[in-house]
Amino acid sequence: MRSNPSDYEMVAPGSLHAIVSLMAKEPGLWVPIAGGTDVMVQYAAGRLPARKLVSVWNIPELRCIEVTAGEIRIGAGCTYTDLSRDEVIGREFPLLHSAARWTGGVANQNRGTIGGNIVNASPAADSLPALLAYEAELILVSARGERRLPYVTFHTGYKRTQLAADELVQTVCLPRRFAGYFNHARKVGARSAQAISKVCIAALGRFAGGVVEDVRIALGSVAPVPLRLRETERIARGKVIDSDLLLSARQAVAAEIRPIDDVRSTARYRTAVAGNLVFEFLNRLGSVENVLARWNHLPIDEAVRAILPCCGSTAWARVMGARRPLADEAALLVAANETWRNLTPSEWLEAFQSHPRIGESRASSLEPRSPPVLSSPDQSLKWSAQEQSNVADSEAAVKSALADANREYEQRFNRIFIVCATGKSAAEILEILRRRLKNDAETELHEAAEQQRQIMEIRLRKWLQV
Amino acid sequence: MTSARERGAQVEISFVVNGEPRAVRAYPMERLLDVLRHQLQLTGAKEGCGEGECGSCSVLMDGILVNSCLVPVLQAEGSNLVTIEGLAAGETLHVLQEAFLECGGAQCGICTPGMILAAFYLSNGKPEPTVTEIREGLSGNLCRCTGYSQIVEAVAEAARRRSAA
Repeated sequence: MRSNPSDYEMVAPGSLHAIVSLMAKEPGLWVPIAGGTDVMVQYAAGRLPARKLVSVWNIPELRCIEVTAGEIRIGAGCTYTDLSRDEVIGREFPLLHSAARWTGGVANQNRGTIGGNIVNASPAADSLPALLAYEAELILVSARGERRLPYVTFHTGYKRTQLAADELVQTVCLPRRFAGYFNHARKVGARSAQAISKVCIAALGRFAGGVVEDVRIALGSVAPVPLRLRETERIARGKVIDSDLLLSARQAVAAEIRPIDDVRSTARYRTAVAGNLVFEFLNRLGSVENVLARWNHLPIDEAVRAILPCCGSTAWARVMGARRPLADEAALLVAANETWRNLTPSEWLEAFQSHPRIGESRASSLEPRSPPVLSSPDQSLKWSAQEQSNVADSEAAVKSALADANREYEQRFNRIFIVCATGKSAAEILEILRRRLKNDAETELHEAAEQQRQIMEIRLRKWLQV
Repeated sequence: MTSARERGAQVEISFVVNGEPRAVRAYPMERLLDVLRHQLQLTGAKEGCGEGECGSCSVLMDGILVNSCLVPVLQAEGSNLVTIEGLAAGETLHVLQEAFLECGGAQCGICTPGMILAAFYLSNGKPEPTVTEIREGLSGNLCRCTGYSQIVEAVAEAARRRSAA
């Protein structure tokens, strides 16, 4: 049954002060509405109990992101688009960045806010486990003043929170102390676009001295509230990642969660998937750190040889070898990017020339090599084949146009065409190639170097996780 | 700035629609979609699901793509709105509209205004989107004729024409 708009009162006072004053006058009667992605859905279905709404959309005090030395303070009125475009969130809080990009389609990301998502309190919301993993704190505001509380205590039951009748979520604070951690986010749903999760995970970990030094695990859609798995974390902390730990972690997950049967899934399926997600996280945490730990201890020549296929420049590989030990994935990527940017053009060129020409990869028949740490130039060819797999599958006409354009490029710039081909079709690559043929030499050199840098990042991540 | 009123009172709301200043009287919780269609006779935006899942009611509000079924009209006060009716310049179709026509990007037509506006919004940020970026940019727009391949092709074709121009 659709609602009748004449039954509702709504105001837009325009400032935070005016909003909290209004809410203080009639506590509980005024319900805040930000981008409407939840409230208007209830309204359309005739299920919105509130009759008085106060707009908190686009209030400057609620729509800012402030970065201090110790934390990032995200205004509750920031949209998912705001979050996914923020550089610090992208770099230091990748779990939140991914969740922001998974939440709804573009139009809903433009209107849905982090504060709205928190107050809507759906146990299935993708961003909330990320806030738990990063140990977020919330600042709540009312005419009585502000108070700050750990986010993990905010949800008190299904769709119930600590918010008082006159209070608003003002800010979400994330401590900037997880920079060196391995981040793992995954969502299991019916499809990837716009599907509400059956189960989702956001987890962080650090591995040192062969054991799990620190770990944070949070799951969505497995309990009446977004859930942090403290008991599972406790079991994993200080342990070697082996089959005993993986088994006991899976049991701990099953004991901690309280999943239900609903339209999207069953409790039984959710229990199995939750166990798998935690298992996968711990396994990857172990393998990333293992690859790095082994590489950190190799003799320099072997270390240089092992990492060379990720980039193809010997100068780069030598600097990387000399920068060891690198603690984790984040440190590896920072070192790799810095080293790459500081190379001379002739050193870049060596990396460009290590690739097969797009569409002419001869590497697809090569067998995988092992172990990964001792990867060789063959590994580079194998990765090229993966990266260019869309090209290999494309039509003959596109392939031949690509071959022609490649030749033109080589005549013009005197080197092979470099593009980060992962996920791109032959037609897309052709388009990019044709556009770049119009570049001047200097612009094109830097564009090629940037593409090679992207290829390097993708390869380093694969290298860590083989 | 709008002050508290009696429940049920209509208010005057002003905005710019497709470049023209307009004013309407409406209940603040009326959906922008209904105001556009019923008061301004801009029937390009369609109601599909009515809950923000299908994108057929997409419009641009202050330059961002929104589902107009989820916007209470009070929040559109003072904003700059663009609907599908505002894309063509007189009789000259926008390059996206041309490309949709030529690539067969429209079948029954219900999703088309939303698809074109979502593509328009995408191309404002990314003039040369890849196929993956096009698919992501249109992921909030559903086509029940399932003509997605031609729609994606139309958006790519429009980008090619723009870069050639």
